[in-house]
Amino acid sequence: MNKYKIRSVRGGFVTVLREIGYFFKGAALNIFSREFLIVFIPLLILWELLPRLGFVPRTLVPPISDVAVTFWEMLTRQNFLADIANSMHKFFLGLGIAVITAVPIGILMGWNLNIRKRTLPLFQLLSPIPPPAWVPLTIIIFGIGLPMQTFLIFLGAFYPILFNTYQAVKDTEPRYLASARIFGASELTLILRVYFWHALGAIIMSIKTGVAMGLVMLIIAEMYGGRTGIGFVLNEAKDYFQIPKMVVCMVTLGIIGWFLIEVLKFIELKLAVWKGGR
Amino acid sequence: MIEAKNISKFFSVINEDRTADGITAVLSVSLNIEDGKIVSFLGPSGCGKSTFLEILGGLQAPTEGSVYIDGVQVLEPLPSTRKEMDAYRKKYKFLSPLANSMFKNRPKHDIAMIFQDYAVFPWMTVLQNVTFTLKLRGVPRSEREEKAFVYLKKTGLADSFRKYPSQASGGMRQRLALARALSVKPRIILMDEPFAAVDALTRERLQDDLLRLWEETGVTIVMVTHDTDEALYLSDEIVVFSPNPGSIRNKFTIDTQRPRRRSDPELLELKQRISSLFKYDIKHESEYSI
Repeated sequence: MNKYKIRSVRGGFVTVLREIGYFFKGAALNIFSREFLIVFIPLLILWELLPRLGFVPRTLVPPISDVAVTFWEMLTRQNFLADIANSMHKFFLGLGIAVITAVPIGILMGWNLNIRKRTLPLFQLLSPIPPPAWVPLTIIIFGIGLPMQTFLIFLGAFYPILFNTYQAVKDTEPRYLASARIFGASELTLILRVYFWHALGAIIMSIKTGVAMGLVMLIIAEMYGGRTGIGFVLNEAKDYFQIPKMVVCMVTLGIIGWFLIEVLKFIELKLAVWKGGR
Repeated sequence: MIEAKNISKFFSVINEDRTADGITAVLSVSLNIEDGKIVSFLGPSGCGKSTFLEILGGLQAPTEGSVYIDGVQVLEPLPSTRKEMDAYRKKYKFLSPLANSMFKNRPKHDIAMIFQDYAVFPWMTVLQNVTFTLKLRGVPRSEREEKAFVYLKKTGLADSFRKYPSQASGGMRQRLALARALSVKPRIILMDEPFAAVDALTRERLQDDLLRLWEETGVTIVMVTHDTDEALYLSDEIVVFSPNPGSIRNKFTIDTQRPRRRSDPELLELKQRISSLFKYDIKHESEYSI
């Protein structure tokens, strides 16, 4: 037995650091690859030159240098970092609640016909309601503040995660189920060891959709009912006609969304080693 | 001892105009399979042999008839009258008839099965696939790995225990399926075209491996194949199926001593007789399905 070392115990902290390093390297390489920079740098130069040379009105389209200066001012003087942190706090709360409710419900719905028949129509009736349509009612019920914003973000992320999880679990390869059952698997074992793992790729994909929808709802929630956050800053800038500030908010949101998708991609890669190709 | 009594399987398709079409996959097949034998089901695609095998294993309920393994019914036949249907619905209100139980890992029968596309779990390593199967049979955690390695060594997989199935070759995946099936020490192994997806050289090696392991363990093997040579080389008994509707056409018992030679004149003569049986079916070819 000694010949076969079964579990490899690797240094915890060092491994984590190394993995984080791999992540940033991989994410950075997506943007700073030579192929993309060839497209990206000319675009940035155009963004700078067109307003400066007067091809587009400079008051409406600020050149990138103005945006950068505004960004620096917002960071140093207006405490923009606190706004970002505040938004992220709400966002992760909402998304987290969506994931820990939608994934189990989706798995149960995909697993059992009886549960599906009793719950699916309800979700199918509720899901076409566009999440922003919930805003007025939510403000009346929860008032303005964290619960209302969290609920709206949850609502945006919940349905995509739920439906994709349910569909992936329902489409589990019958051969896998049959082979586990014939060896004696209980339904609980099937759920934990077969259905879940089979659906894992689709679940992570759906969380990516959830992130996108959650960001939409984050901004809507902060615009309609908030005193802090990126969406509030954006709305405020609109009132004072501070276009560079608005652009800063938009770019920040873009970077946040991109970063979260990269994180999910990395997690997907780590969890799905078995998919091969490595 | 597996006893199949008058097994029939019909599939119904309900059209949009509420008319029903029926497909007869298996029509009144009766068969006894004795312990310790290798029995092959031979026939063209779409003759119901795979369906019949799944009925034997309890993966599908028959429409009529029953399968008994050592006198215990595998799955009750599907209801046919309204009254039976109500009782059936009441009985299987929440869990499907195929389910074992909600929380306890316990097999209904002492069977293992190998599928055509192996059905080893791609998200578990080679070792985990076997230990998971052992877990399902209630082997305590501390003994699982040791027992798994016994069978991984027998099938020549011990060195690649850490690989995932996607990193292994088709032959290795097939051997993993075999190791997984043998590790639980079943009395019966059902195989659905086990060697159809590997190349000819690997197939011959796997067939020899199978015979060796069969002699060591003495399990009953029931396999579906459409390779006449394979059936002749391996089995004690060949059951030839014919399609439309799927039923038994002929049975052959092979008494030739093992180890057999693949070019044994006795076997070749038998091969002639079996292939002459299929010639009559060619006019139905357009109706075959996969």
